[in-house]
Amino acid sequence: MKQEKPLRRRSYFVRYWQLYAMMVLPLLYFLVFKYVPMLGNVLAFRRYRPGMGPFGTEWVGLTYFSRFWSDPAFWRAFRNTLILSILNLVVNFPIPILFAILLNEVHLLAFKKVVQTVSYMPRFISTVVVIAILGELLSPSSGIINQLRQQLFGKEALYFMNEARFFRIIYILVDTWQYTGWTAIIYLAAITAIPAELYEAATIDGASRTQQIFYVTIPSIMPTIMVMLIISVGRLLSLGFEKVLLLYTPDNSMVSDIIDTLVYRTGLANQNYSYATAIGLFSGIIGVILVSSSNALSKRLTSEGIY
Amino acid sequence: MKTYRSPSSLLFSFVIYLVMVLTLALCLIPFLYMLALSISSPKAIIQNEVFLIPKGLNLQSYIQIFSYPNFFNAYGNTFIYTLGGTAISLTLMILFAYPLSKTRLKGVKVVMRLVIFSMFFSGGLIPNYLLVSSLGLTNTRLAMLIPFAINQFNLILLINFFKSIPMDLEEAAIIDGLDYKGILIRIILPLSTAALATVGLYTAVFFWNDWFHGLIYLKSSQFPVMLFLRNIVTGTSMVGDAAGSGDKSTIAISIKSAVIITSTLPIIILYPFLQRFFVKGVMIGAVKG
Repeated sequence: MKQEKPLRRRSYFVRYWQLYAMMVLPLLYFLVFKYVPMLGNVLAFRRYRPGMGPFGTEWVGLTYFSRFWSDPAFWRAFRNTLILSILNLVVNFPIPILFAILLNEVHLLAFKKVVQTVSYMPRFISTVVVIAILGELLSPSSGIINQLRQQLFGKEALYFMNEARFFRIIYILVDTWQYTGWTAIIYLAAITAIPAELYEAATIDGASRTQQIFYVTIPSIMPTIMVMLIISVGRLLSLGFEKVLLLYTPDNSMVSDIIDTLVYRTGLANQNYSYATAIGLFSGIIGVILVSSSNALSKRLTSEGIY
Repeated sequence: MKTYRSPSSLLFSFVIYLVMVLTLALCLIPFLYMLALSISSPKAIIQNEVFLIPKGLNLQSYIQIFSYPNFFNAYGNTFIYTLGGTAISLTLMILFAYPLSKTRLKGVKVVMRLVIFSMFFSGGLIPNYLLVSSLGLTNTRLAMLIPFAINQFNLILLINFFKSIPMDLEEAAIIDGLDYKGILIRIILPLSTAALATVGLYTAVFFWNDWFHGLIYLKSSQFPVMLFLRNIVTGTSMVGDAAGSGDKSTIAISIKSAVIITSTLPIIILYPFLQRFFVKGVMIGAVKG
């Protein structure tokens, strides 16, 4: 057997060479565009000099890390990221569940389908368009919201998009608008999979529709809810960078400057490449720790992991 | 079957339908408002008479944006990026996903590990930027097309779909003398239209909506329409300078609305036809994502 092995290995590759040939180009592409940037993170430990390549020139150890560690701008961004992520999770995690449960109670099938179709359309609209429309709706001079405030309550126009106190609520509501319908698809699928006998039995026992929701629907989709919660906690720090960047103004920067926008500004606007890479790497590592620990937790609690 | 309905059950139904109607309104009103602003007369807009129903029909803002060379150019660029990006992306992902769907093939496990690891840890913004610029792609249209060709979620969606195609078909084809290239082209791809449509649509929407990479990699003549819109919104770029005297700001509003409607129109028009694919995709992807 052992003597045959080299021959068998050769015939193996001869037999499957086309499959390997298909892979060459995409694999090469994948390594260049996903793994080279990953290695490019060494820039966090090296000094960058223009024109001397993307990996920097000499080792400087943890210089850049200790620099951002004592930088108040970093801690402000860190705190903003954390607060915005947690608020967003608290508000936008339950809403799609609630929406799916209510939508499931709609018995006019055609109407249900229309609502469903329309509700996940926002997911496909560009964030630029969403923020642009919001800017119109909230505009202090012509926006409909301010007009209503003035005409109905006689209040002065507010520049919502530019005031720090409105930033977080605007971000979170935009997120609600964009993703509620889309995320609800997963819960709706879980609800559809609940056996009809459970509802029939509940009806015979005299359970009202609200009681059916609390004693049949919610317990049945609990595993899905748990998995989704764990995924969301794992992705806690990955806020919608583009959305924050579009909502960012100098006036709301004390609450809207998150880690990603800080990396963008120090890195690309001020060209402190190594410093920005160090900050990015730090938050990337926290992200990996969050994902892998929430996954481990998920495997222990529900015997279901996401990878 | 149900003839008797208790008052509480009626109240329950009422609340549910109210929530659903509100949802519909919240999703649709922003677009109707923009549409109304873009086709109403400046006078009606100034007097705050326009909300959901256009007043004093006026298509001037559309005529104006299409005679504005930067907009026309950006719109064309977006079509190039969407068509080119989707074509490159689908080709690379099909070529990658088919061999990777053969779990028993030597080496596939290692490559899959590489793919999955890269979903959790990646080079950040700066290393990616420096890679693209050291490859000499900055200020070329390729910077919008090449770096994003493989999306791991879409790749896994395709792999899962290819795995679900029965092996018997392939074995029969091999007996008939077809090689793997032939199997992919003549058997796998024709059977995968639903998955390909789904991934193709996700990819096309990504390229259509992308603006940030245009901002960091491109010069203004290469900007996509979403970046053009963003620059209008932030005031970096001006439109409506030819609008004339008094009511400049109002004209700017309907021009902005016209840009919003025009740049979203392809998605809104195609959406009702394509949405079933979108949903199918999230279900295939949710199996293991």
